[in-house]
Amino acid sequence: MVKFFRILVAGSLIVASCAAILLPQFQTKSNSAPPNRSEVVFWHFWGGEDRDVVDRVVERFNQSQSEYWVRAVAVPGNNLDAKLFLSVAGGNPPDLVNQDDPVLADWYGRGVLQTVGEFAGDQAESQLSEFLLPAARRLAQVDGRWVAVPNGLDVRALYYNASLLEERGLQPPATLAEFDQVIRALSPPNNPNAEMFAYLPDPRRILAWGYVFGGDFFDEKTNRVRLDSPEIIAALNWMQEFSRLYGPDAVARFRQSEQSLPGKTFPLLPALAESNVGRYAFLLDGQWRTRDIESFAAARKARGLAAPRFGVCPLPPPDGGRSRSGWVNGNFFVVPRGAKNVSGAWAFIRFWIGLESVDQAARTCAEGGWIPVSSAVIESKSFQDYLGQHPLMATFVELADSDQVFPYPQTRGAMFFKRTLETAAEEAVSHPERSSAQILHDAGLRIQSQLDRLQKIERAADAK
Amino acid sequence: MTNIKLTYQPNGIAGMKRNREHQIAGWLFAAPWVIGFFVLVLTPFWASLVLSFCRWDMIRPPQWVGFENYLRLADEIRSQTGFGLALRNTLYYSLLSVPLSVVFGIGLAIMLSWPVRGQALFRTIFFLPSMIPVVATCILWMWLFDPQSGWVNHAIGWLGLPPQNWLHQARSAVSAESAAVVGNAWSGQAPLALFGSKDALVMISLWTVGNLMVIYLAALHDVPQSLYEAAELDGAGRWRRFWRITLPQLTPVILFNLVTGLIRSVQTFTSIYVLSEGTGAPGESLLVIALHIFLAAFVDLDMGYASAMAWLLFCALMLCTWLLFRSSRHWVYYRFAN
Repeated sequence: MVKFFRILVAGSLIVASCAAILLPQFQTKSNSAPPNRSEVVFWHFWGGEDRDVVDRVVERFNQSQSEYWVRAVAVPGNNLDAKLFLSVAGGNPPDLVNQDDPVLADWYGRGVLQTVGEFAGDQAESQLSEFLLPAARRLAQVDGRWVAVPNGLDVRALYYNASLLEERGLQPPATLAEFDQVIRALSPPNNPNAEMFAYLPDPRRILAWGYVFGGDFFDEKTNRVRLDSPEIIAALNWMQEFSRLYGPDAVARFRQSEQSLPGKTFPLLPALAESNVGRYAFLLDGQWRTRDIESFAAARKARGLAAPRFGVCPLPPPDGGRSRSGWVNGNFFVVPRGAKNVSGAWAFIRFWIGLESVDQAARTCAEGGWIPVSSAVIESKSFQDYLGQHPLMATFVELADSDQVFPYPQTRGAMFFKRTLETAAEEAVSHPERSSAQILHDAGLRIQSQLDRLQKIERAADAK
Repeated sequence: MTNIKLTYQPNGIAGMKRNREHQIAGWLFAAPWVIGFFVLVLTPFWASLVLSFCRWDMIRPPQWVGFENYLRLADEIRSQTGFGLALRNTLYYSLLSVPLSVVFGIGLAIMLSWPVRGQALFRTIFFLPSMIPVVATCILWMWLFDPQSGWVNHAIGWLGLPPQNWLHQARSAVSAESAAVVGNAWSGQAPLALFGSKDALVMISLWTVGNLMVIYLAALHDVPQSLYEAAELDGAGRWRRFWRITLPQLTPVILFNLVTGLIRSVQTFTSIYVLSEGTGAPGESLLVIALHIFLAAFVDLDMGYASAMAWLLFCALMLCTWLLFRSSRHWVYYRFAN
């Protein structure tokens, strides 16, 4: 009897442990496709409010369909790569993945992805080539092959406090020389306890300024890193100049203060109700900040207070630089190798980006605050109505249409590239006495060495 | 007098059978942990050793490369980039945080052992920070380290020091560079900007010293009162009693805390990930080995290189632990040792 009881207790414990592990799997299954609909498993990185937007797009697609049914799975954080790779290696990948990090070349180089031609046919490539904006086309191709389909663009531009400029009789700058003049007029040097700086460049935005100065960070033809090209050195020199002007410690101290709670603040906006000036007069940021400005204006209005006006302009180029230029990134779809429902995945991609209905795509972009990947969607009445209600978005949309905005170089090890470049820029800005040319040269060597190593591995794998 | 049976003795064949049943039941109860240990700990542990001699990106089959990953690590140590830099940062953090945690832990434990009113309340207050989640602690300290409105800069302002940039400064207080900074400040050429992100990290690590304090407090209660009484009779003052009795009696606990503290400091990841937004910024000053391994494995997907680093770290920790134990015979006092 005692023996029976012991075995019963031990057995129950094991069954309970197994059930605890397996139960969530069954619960997920209950969220599976309805009968007569083939399921498309869709992994994406979005969280927070954006996840709700994605869920709504999926819901609209599922309602519009009789053939496919998309199941969205949020896989946020840094581990999406590892999970995707293991799922591909294990033979059970999702049908569709959405990502926004510069990982495309790495994923493709490792043989994880299908090309657009493979999952949607060669016609799809020519269709996308006509449909997409130049920036979106750059985001979609690696080694001249279509391996992704962008579904939304993120563009950076220069926000400014229009009321403050007007009050001081200044104009938004069209060139870098004008920008420097405005900066010096608003923030003269030798004021270490300043509560407002006209502008302080964020070293992480070296890519944006490097492109505006006319530089190219990578030569795809020769596979060589070009961090020490004269234009990029000039861009970093210009960024260093702020540390020389105000002192590196004062700059660092000021910049750290708004980073105490990452991602929560937009320091162009005044923190105090009685003030019309924030911590900066100019700030480089993406189109999603227009929402912060609108919320701020609405909050001020609700309290019966007048809000300062804000504007957006492209990054002002130096002589010989690029106009309407800068850094663009975006969200893109990829179809992993071994995906089972590629036709369903392609149907969902078409729905999202507007190849089926530009109005649907415009609605999606408006809900998410994303910039459409196609001029057809931008020109649609729905999106134009949205732009009418959100005038600050106009500059971003214009920039997205420019052929002078560029993403991170589509190279193997692009995340290493990004990390090393940003660290180098930070070092230069923190130590204005050091040579930016030397810092960039050293960083370039490190990136090139990593790139060569990855290519060697890829060649060895291909040879096998 | 009650006759208590202290041991289970099998009695003939029936006893052996019962013993066997006991063993089976024991293994069944332990099975979830044993299976978990073999599958989730031991297998990856040895697999990582094999992988450290391979190139593996999680998608293509691992490719044997011999000592390539280890040679790369040696090269990076030589050039003070990548792993070499991470090693230097980790050493800085460990060499400051571990001894300081011992000093603060003992100091707090001694103060909290004084019989004062509200002793229990003080003990609770000093232990509470250890119970706050790491991420919440980091966010709190990011506010405290704010160079313009943070309390830390206000506090050092009372000592006459200028505001420091803490989390936005790659510089560290204990370095050759800091000597130049002090020199410049002395001659009035520049403000005394001495502390940086690594120093801030050390300060944050001391925030959770409450865990150690509890251990030292328990050890203090274990010190025989007769020793203090004898010392007092011999005319020993407070300082001498601490130096000659309390500290030697605490040495076994200090050894334990040194070993566990060293391992914990080398494995510090969460706080650094939060403070540097997962990059090791500013200027790679927070790029410690744990973060470098994470970036190599899960961002650059270079599992072989990451495994080699993990194994080198494991060997280094084993060596340090062995050295600590080896040195303990010279400074650790065991009361009941033969």
